[in-house]
Amino acid sequence: MAADKKTKVLARQLFKLSLADGQVSAEKVSGVLGWVDKHEPRQPLALLKLYQNLIATELSRLNAVVTHAGPLAATALGQIEQALTKKYQRRITATARPDAKLLAGLRVHIGDDVYESSASSQLAALSV
Amino acid sequence: MSPILLATVEAATNAAQAGPLEGLQQTFEHFGVEPKFILLQVISFLILFGVLYKFGVKPTLATMEERNAKIASGLKNAEETQTRLAAAAQESAQIVRNAQIEAQKSIDEARKAAKEFADKQQAEAVARAADTLAKAQQAIELEHRKMLDQARSEIARLVVKTTEQVLAKKLTEADRAAYNEAATKELSAL
Repeated sequence: MAADKKTKVLARQLFKLSLADGQVSAEKVSGVLGWVDKHEPRQPLALLKLYQNLIATELSRLNAVVTHAGPLAATALGQIEQALTKKYQRRITATARPDAKLLAGLRVHIGDDVYESSASSQLAALSV
Repeated sequence: MSPILLATVEAATNAAQAGPLEGLQQTFEHFGVEPKFILLQVISFLILFGVLYKFGVKPTLATMEERNAKIASGLKNAEETQTRLAAAAQESAQIVRNAQIEAQKSIDEARKAAKEFADKQQAEAVARAADTLAKAQQAIELEHRKMLDQARSEIARLVVKTTEQVLAKKLTEADRAAYNEAATKELSAL
């Protein structure tokens, strides 16, 4: 069932209530979920899906997923966080995620942006 | 000898014996010719001549003149007709000659048009054949390039896959760590 206009507006309002200092706050998210559970607004499933998408989008804007193959130096994530924070003008945290398919190198996902410097991407470029 | 001849001889003999006028008079008397009868006969003859001339000769002459005029007119008409016939024959011959010339001209034009049409058709057929051949050659060349591209892509894919498999086996942790360090520097410089 598609969400109506009022549900979309409510989802955005709940999302704004979930931010603290411009960042998603776990406590406020818990409070919003408790309010939804208590008051049972119209179209609760559609509302929760919209709210989840907004939260996930915001988290992906603030969290960089660094996919890597092989050992990653302890200082590497810090360097990447600093570089991305400087680039996007907001505090970015980095999370490491190993993936042997890269063969060697890194791939960074942040929001809709992808930065990659890996052996598999260079080989893929050769095959085109 | 006949009695008339005898009387003539006798009268001539008597006349020769008298004078010329007397002799002539005696001759007339001998034959019973009298002037009054002669005068009456002359008047009768003149009356008969007049009647015959008025009712016989004159109409006959008029009819003959009329017929002569008709005949002359007919001859004249015949001559004119013959002249016109000759002119018509000449004109018809001229018309036939002109028609023959026009017909020959039309035939020549038709031959010329047919030849031009045939030449044009032949040229178009040649052009179409050349176009078809060129398109076929282009299609063959395109297909050839496509096959080469596909083969190149497949070979590259196989090479990359093989390389990935080799690298996955041969790269050591130290190699990966070094690569990751270089990648970190590269991404940090963005």
